Amino acid sequence: MTVGEQQAFISVGEQPLTALDHPGGPTLSEQPELTMSAESIAALDGPFSTRQLLRLDEALRVADQQTGLTFSVYLGELAEPTRESAEQLHRQLEGAASAVLVAVSPNQRILEIVTGSDARKRISDRDAKLAALSMSAAFAGGDLAGGVLAGLDQLASHAGRH
Amino acid sequence: MSIFSTILVFAVTPLAVVIVIGALAALGGSHHRPDRRYRPGRPYDFAPTWFLASPAQVSPALGKTSGAQALESGEHRQVRPGPVGGASDRW
Repeated sequence: MTVGEQQAFISVGEQPLTALDHPGGPTLSEQPELTMSAESIAALDGPFSTRQLLRLDEALRVADQQTGLTFSVYLGELAEPTRESAEQLHRQLEGAASAVLVAVSPNQRILEIVTGSDARKRISDRDAKLAALSMSAAFAGGDLAGGVLAGLDQLASHAGRH
Repeated sequence: MSIFSTILVFAVTPLAVVIVIGALAALGGSHHRPDRRYRPGRPYDFAPTWFLASPAQVSPALGKTSGAQALESGEHRQVRPGPVGGASDRW
């Protein structure tokens, strides 16, 4: 029995080994969208380049791992009053008490940082304001991705390791 | 070298090279995707996006939450876990 036959034998009736549903068709390097969720594809149409998205993903993961808090970034319109709608978004996060939400509305030129009750003990409002200042400085210069990355980095370093 | 071949080598050939390279550059330039960079004051017309290290962390109690839907779901208020802190800024 050849290796190919063996693999075919193993994969019968099991979950396919790749993200492709059917044998044949395009390879994953030809169509990487096949492995991505609808949200990931939507994110590619956003204002960030693929490189910036990768860096943002990395920054979020590193911040979460180092601090034990849940960091998230919301980019889009915020309903008036913006503070309340940002807090409402924050409440939807799992473990909202230890979650930190950075909500950025480029059209309204508003930035809201919401820290949960536990996260607030690690990141004081003063620290959050400091991160907000550096983020809004980057946004005013038109650097959305850089501002978000710098802000996340600052917030995570203020929170310290867990 | 006759006048004809001099002109051919020193004028027509460089001109042809310049035209070919220029045409290639113009063709390549038109394939660029539209400028997606945010500039303050210019409209920002992208769908709301919510970035998380693991997307499952958004509470499933509120159903599928993309940012826009999450904002509209005001009636599903959850119990506030406690006073929240943070900061606001404008630019």
